[in-house]
Amino acid sequence: MSESLSTDLNFFQVKKGIISWLFSLDHKRIGLMYLYAIISFFLVGVTLGLLMRLELIAPGETIMKAKTYNQTFTLHGVIMIFLFIIPSIPAIFGNFFLPIMLGTDDVALPKLNLLSWWLYVIGALFALSTLVFGDGPADTGWTFYAPYSVQTNTNVTMSVMAAFILGFSSILTGLNFIVTIHRLRAPGMGWFQMPLFAWSLYATSWIQLLATPIIGITLLMIVAERAFGVGLFDPAIGGDPILYQHLFWIYSHPAVYIMALPAMGIISEIIPTFAKRSIFGYKAIAYSSMAIAFVGYFVWGHHMFTSGMSGSARIIFSVLTFMVAIPTAIKVFNWVATMYKGSIDLQPPMLYAMAFIFQFMIGGLTGLVLAALAADIHLHDTYFVVGHFHYVMFGGTGFAMFGGMHYWFPKIWGRMYNIKIAKFAFALLVLGFNMLYFPMLILGLMGMPRRYYDYLPQFTDLNVLSTVGSWILAIGLITMLVNLINGMRKGAPAGRNPWGSISLEWQTKSPPPLENFDKQPELNEGGPYNYKN
Amino acid sequence: MEDHSKEKQHIVSYKENFGTWLGLMLLTALTVAVSVANASLITLTVVTALVIATTKAILVAYYFMHLKFDHKLYRIMLLIITLLFSSFMLLTIVDYLSR
Ligand code: HEM
Ligand SMILES: [Cu+2]
Repeated sequence: MSESLSTDLNFFQVKKGIISWLFSLDHKRIGLMYLYAIISFFLVGVTLGLLMRLELIAPGETIMKAKTYNQTFTLHGVIMIFLFIIPSIPAIFGNFFLPIMLGTDDVALPKLNLLSWWLYVIGALFALSTLVFGDGPADTGWTFYAPYSVQTNTNVTMSVMAAFILGFSSILTGLNFIVTIHRLRAPGMGWFQMPLFAWSLYATSWIQLLATPIIGITLLMIVAERAFGVGLFDPAIGGDPILYQHLFWIYSHPAVYIMALPAMGIISEIIPTFAKRSIFGYKAIAYSSMAIAFVGYFVWGHHMFTSGMSGSARIIFSVLTFMVAIPTAIKVFNWVATMYKGSIDLQPPMLYAMAFIFQFMIGGLTGLVLAALAADIHLHDTYFVVGHFHYVMFGGTGFAMFGGMHYWFPKIWGRMYNIKIAKFAFALLVLGFNMLYFPMLILGLMGMPRRYYDYLPQFTDLNVLSTVGSWILAIGLITMLVNLINGMRKGAPAGRNPWGSISLEWQTKSPPPLENFDKQPELNEGGPYNYKN
Repeated sequence: MEDHSKEKQHIVSYKENFGTWLGLMLLTALTVAVSVANASLITLTVVTALVIATTKAILVAYYFMHLKFDHKLYRIMLLIITLLFSSFMLLTIVDYLSR
């Protein structure tokens, strides 16, 4: 890379043309390619969500048939989980900022990084191809539960292969980050001088590396059973459907922490910057990331309380699930303690961080309700669960990602978006989001089951409210994206450090040069969050 | 960015390599012998076969893959992963045995 050492050029300018992007080894360009791809699929997923909400605006068939509805929520789930939320923060901001925050010039294995992106694209094409090939997208739900996934004649094999390939992309990203964090920290940066975002990525990467292979092999077992009739999960041919659920959730619960931990990392960056205070309990936050990653491996059974698992196993999994709430609560207390007596500047990223705390807490606490064995008998497979996981994944991780977009935007593009419009979009998003999903929690308590295109008339009012909420949310999303795109094109120049932060990425130019720093970055005395007050 | 020149590289001798290989062959022979001799004791045969296979895997990892001569960190990682995997098995088996 020596031909382009001239530091006047930023990483956008060193090379031009589409090929220079598609085959770039620069972690920043790869991060941005992920951004564009992931946001596109997010919008596809949102569209499917809006269509489902439209179907549910009134009881009975409104705009689609039952089978279409089943295929819609499956594709929505697959896209949102495997193409949006799992890769989102690590693949976009982890790629772009981890090397910069560690004070180095790239990830440890740049070619592997490019391969991850290509695998992501190929996996995505597989998922979308179910729309045109075979008998249409799978109608099993994103969980592909056997034996139905073995029996349905929709295109399960293709969807499952998509998840399999996307899994490899995720594993390689995790591996890359682990090696980068071990080997490439700036001279003098010990483990406890690392930014907390890097810590959260470290914990996440271990989950990606160790848990993802399990879903890979499980999904291949579905293919083997569909194609060759190997009796693994279907009791009719000697299999055990509960075994499938064990294998599926051994990955998919830890995957929840692949989604949540990086989000918590972003929040731990935003809050000290906008409260102008050093983070409260740095080590507690760092260790709790590792604790969440570790304990999170042993709680998968809470998805199976009503599916015929043994009583003793249910009790064990319930207790373990309650335990994983502890390190999560530690983080929330630390964030709030950081804000306490700080001089808080309510810029858009900070607003998103605060909405994250509020919504993620609703998501987490409703999770504890579901972890209680008796309550779960009533709530399992109702809209309470749909409300719960949207609060965690969308209200939590999704909002943290939007916060990250507004936080690092001036660093990535060197320009600033319109702050007023950003705040307005934020207000629409919070209003729309809560109007869309809070009614679902109540509907679930009332007994409305999930995954149906129809419902009883007594559920109508809250469903109408929820659908109207989805429209407000959609308008908020459009406002936010249009504002960001405008800022990207013609925003005012932002300078190196518009937010007055002291972590490393703000020391370099905006946008950064190809090699990330124009001069050797200086580590801050007393750690990455040592603000004056 | 660490200085690799200072790290000592262990060169495995022919004796060590050959010894390991011989051990692996003997264990393979043992697996076959047990399965032929104990054909009636099905569970026991499976258990012995698994124990022997694990031993062989450890030998390969330690000698052929240089785990023994490498930084302690890698051994700790392997241990953690083995424990993690065992706990997956354990928790799943708890469900099966108590159903
Ligand atoms: C405008 C945004 C969204 C809308 C309107 C929406 C709407 C819905 C609805 C109505 C369902 C329930 C289907 C049913 O059980 O009958 C659903 C399921 C689901 N949603 Fe969303 N959603 C949105 C965004 C998201 C996001 C951002 C994520 C993830 C980050 C997500 C993940 C899921 C998952 C995993 C399911 C379960 C699918 C299944 O049952 O297999 N959604 N969504
Ligand atoms: Cu879970």
